[in-house]
Amino acid sequence: MDQTLPPPVVPAKKSIWERLSETNWIGLVPFFAFIFFFLLLPSSNLLLKSFQDFNGNFTLSNYAVMQNPYVIKAYSVSLRVSVITSVVGGVFGFFVAYAIVLGNTPKWMRNFLMTFSGLAANFGGVPLAFSYIATLGRTGFVTAILKSICYPDPTGAQVCPFNPYDNGFNLYSMTGLVLAYTYFQFPLMVLTITPALEGLKKEWREASANLGASPWQYWRDVALPILAPSILGATLLLFGSAFGAYATAYALTGGSIYLITILIAQQIRGDVLNNPYEGYALAVGMIVIMGITILAYNVLQRRTSRWLKS
Amino acid sequence: MKKPRFDLWSVFWAILALLYFFIPLYGTLDFSLRMKKGEISLLAYSIVLSDPKFLSSFQYSIIMGIISVTLSVLIFVPTVYWLYLKLPKARPVVEIITILPFVIPVIVYVYGINTTFGRPPFRMTFNTFTTDILMVGGYIILSMPYMYRAIDVGMRTIDVRTLTEAAQSMGASWTKILIDVIFPNLRIAILSGSLISFATVIGELILGDFLLRPALGPYMAEVGRDKAFEPAALAIISYALTWISLGLIQYFSRGNSTQRQLTGR
Amino acid sequence: MSYLELTNIHKAFGTSVAVENFNLSVEQGEFISFLGPSGCGKTTTLRMIAGFEIPTSGYITINSNDLTYLPPNKRNVGMVFQSYALFPNMTVAENIGYGLKIAGKNKSEIATRVEEMLALIHLEDYGKRYPFQLSGGQQQRVALARALAFQPQVLLLDEPLSALDAKIRVELRMEIRRIQQTLGITTIYVTHDQEEALSLSDRIVVMSQGKMEQVGTPSEIYNFPATEFVAKFVGQINLIPVDAHEPEEGLVKVGSQVVRTAKYEILDNKPLRLAVRPEELNPGHLDGANNLSGKVDSITYLGSIVRIRVDVEGHPFSLDVFNERKLNMPVVGEQFQVNFPVDACWIL
Repeated sequence: MDQTLPPPVVPAKKSIWERLSETNWIGLVPFFAFIFFFLLLPSSNLLLKSFQDFNGNFTLSNYAVMQNPYVIKAYSVSLRVSVITSVVGGVFGFFVAYAIVLGNTPKWMRNFLMTFSGLAANFGGVPLAFSYIATLGRTGFVTAILKSICYPDPTGAQVCPFNPYDNGFNLYSMTGLVLAYTYFQFPLMVLTITPALEGLKKEWREASANLGASPWQYWRDVALPILAPSILGATLLLFGSAFGAYATAYALTGGSIYLITILIAQQIRGDVLNNPYEGYALAVGMIVIMGITILAYNVLQRRTSRWLKS
Repeated sequence: MKKPRFDLWSVFWAILALLYFFIPLYGTLDFSLRMKKGEISLLAYSIVLSDPKFLSSFQYSIIMGIISVTLSVLIFVPTVYWLYLKLPKARPVVEIITILPFVIPVIVYVYGINTTFGRPPFRMTFNTFTTDILMVGGYIILSMPYMYRAIDVGMRTIDVRTLTEAAQSMGASWTKILIDVIFPNLRIAILSGSLISFATVIGELILGDFLLRPALGPYMAEVGRDKAFEPAALAIISYALTWISLGLIQYFSRGNSTQRQLTGR
Repeated sequence: MSYLELTNIHKAFGTSVAVENFNLSVEQGEFISFLGPSGCGKTTTLRMIAGFEIPTSGYITINSNDLTYLPPNKRNVGMVFQSYALFPNMTVAENIGYGLKIAGKNKSEIATRVEEMLALIHLEDYGKRYPFQLSGGQQQRVALARALAFQPQVLLLDEPLSALDAKIRVELRMEIRRIQQTLGITTIYVTHDQEEALSLSDRIVVMSQGKMEQVGTPSEIYNFPATEFVAKFVGQINLIPVDAHEPEEGLVKVGSQVVRTAKYEILDNKPLRLAVRPEELNPGHLDGANNLSGKVDSITYLGSIVRIRVDVEGHPFSLDVFNERKLNMPVVGEQFQVNFPVDACWIL
């Protein structure tokens, strides 16, 4: 049987339009249009305006606002709250996740903690502030219990030494804020670190024990180095979630704690800086800090995970 | 020699966590029931629930939630589908874009919205309809990380290419493929993404507060400023809403655990 | 007293018994395999030697030291895991040296020993690599070196080859035997692969459902399986229900045809079965041997051998013949004669 070969296909010169359609980006147009309008435009506008003066000319002077003592204070309080809550929440959450994944805890407890972490990581904002006021506020539930612990002192007078508000505690302060943030920070840590803990192979522990390592040596030499990138990532997430938080602090303290988010809110409401352009610089500063954090995370991540498959 | 039944170190942390969870919850519940002096009552709840402002803001937030979630699904499902089918190379780029709302604090974002659209040439905050468009856009952006991830995870589990080719071979058009094949196969992913996004919208404070729209978040903040017992009742109601949303997600997506954080703070 | 002794070992998890009445003496330098299907208790037994499980009763000694209740990190036994279990955060050299580091050896001593071990496994240039940069076979060799570097009293291998490709498996198998003989280390090897057990071991322990079925050299296990389980699990075997004919003479009946074997006893209600390996069966008639005639049922090519299934009055016999080019293969359905030596079959 003889077969005729099909005629060779001569590639035709493609028009620009054909080439463009080959890049297959058309399906992404709605997405990018939306992102452009609702994300890129507003944020780049802030960035742009932070480098402009009243007449629209380029200037760096708006960033002089960073020397304003109020601004410095707001940034440092925000950073302090974020670092403290991400460390406290991170450590606490890590141990809870350990108890859930590796600890020999009752099964109902584990299921319960896991479910509740998913829930509590999402409690936040205004309702959470209400809860803390109802619990640890001046007339709160726990405050009332602690207040009511009274006994007669040697002279026969009643003393109630456990009232937290007599001992320097104040919910509407940094301490209160840290307590409230921890409510969503540690469950967030539990949620993000659990998969990493589950990824620790039983054989690694056994192999290290087999080679003579104590449990402590196993954690120091094997488990923690392996977990380091995940712990780092989770802590960063916690930091970001605290740094950008506004509603909880606003509803809890009504603005008496000077967080950078609260300062920005005041600037939006009433131009407390008396210069809207300085406000833009303030906002850009927050994004820059988040950016630096992520950059630092990337560098650290690379250094702690040379051994990871890329 | 026998292993101890439970290790005390772990039990200690577990109990501490349980206490941390429950004391504020119990405190809130207890407080919300004590509006009448010396007795347990649901007075705070009935006051909240019969407040017309509560009802209207609740209604507003629910409508906004439904609109935002619907649009969000309509934007992200075709986008992710396209990424899987035609442009897998662009996935990392889109992924980075979708987590940007984690990097840009909400307050900064709202600031950007306000300064950009609140003046010429847009002037969108000057009437309620265009402001609501901004609200919806903002809600979609804020819930984008959750929605995108949910759909991305769902899309990963179905063989998009084979399904598409099978449908094409039977002569289905693109819209038909999306509606008849992709959406039904993604329904659990869409549902969990929607519920998380919905909960985000319901609990959101900042957008409504600064764009001056009567959403539930600003209403709660306002009640918190000048009432004592009602806020506790509102907190319990809001927890219940979150609880129901997440409960539904867990119910519908048993087996795949893609829980995430919802509300803005 | 032998070097490694397991005495009356019994292990239960809750109500389910994993290992029962396990007794074994291992001489120094011996290579022992635990062979059996999954869930037979072989890994549990190994893990009890390593200290990851504690026997419900019984005791384990090495060199007359009781280590039944000793924690795993105090036992000085080396173990190789099925999944390699290399520490992903350490280089190959760090992995191999980890046991020595824990033991508090100084750096130069560790470095020398690591070099030695790398040479032993022929991976001299791989010390600075991370596990993910190695192939499965290389990773398992590193795991072997790691388990040997700190000079353990006993080497334990838990299905070390089952995650690897067939070809690497055979290569590494020979490698393991070579290293074991070079070092003269007492070794326990757990496997479900009979070929591995037969080719590697000095002695094999065949296990089933937590019990020892048989202990013996590879040739004893293969040629004289003590139980039906061993006969079936190790190698291929024809097990044909037969009727008693003349027990004293060692005669049984396959259908209507008489077969001679060793003298046997009839136990109440215990069905008699004739056991014969497929490679003992030959085509054709042979005087002085057992002869059976039947019909060809199927012919299967297995590479170097061809397996012919012959239906003898409803009983299927398999026979293996070498796949020689000149061989005349029978046709399915045709009449077929088989013969096998009288001493190659026995009653189970």
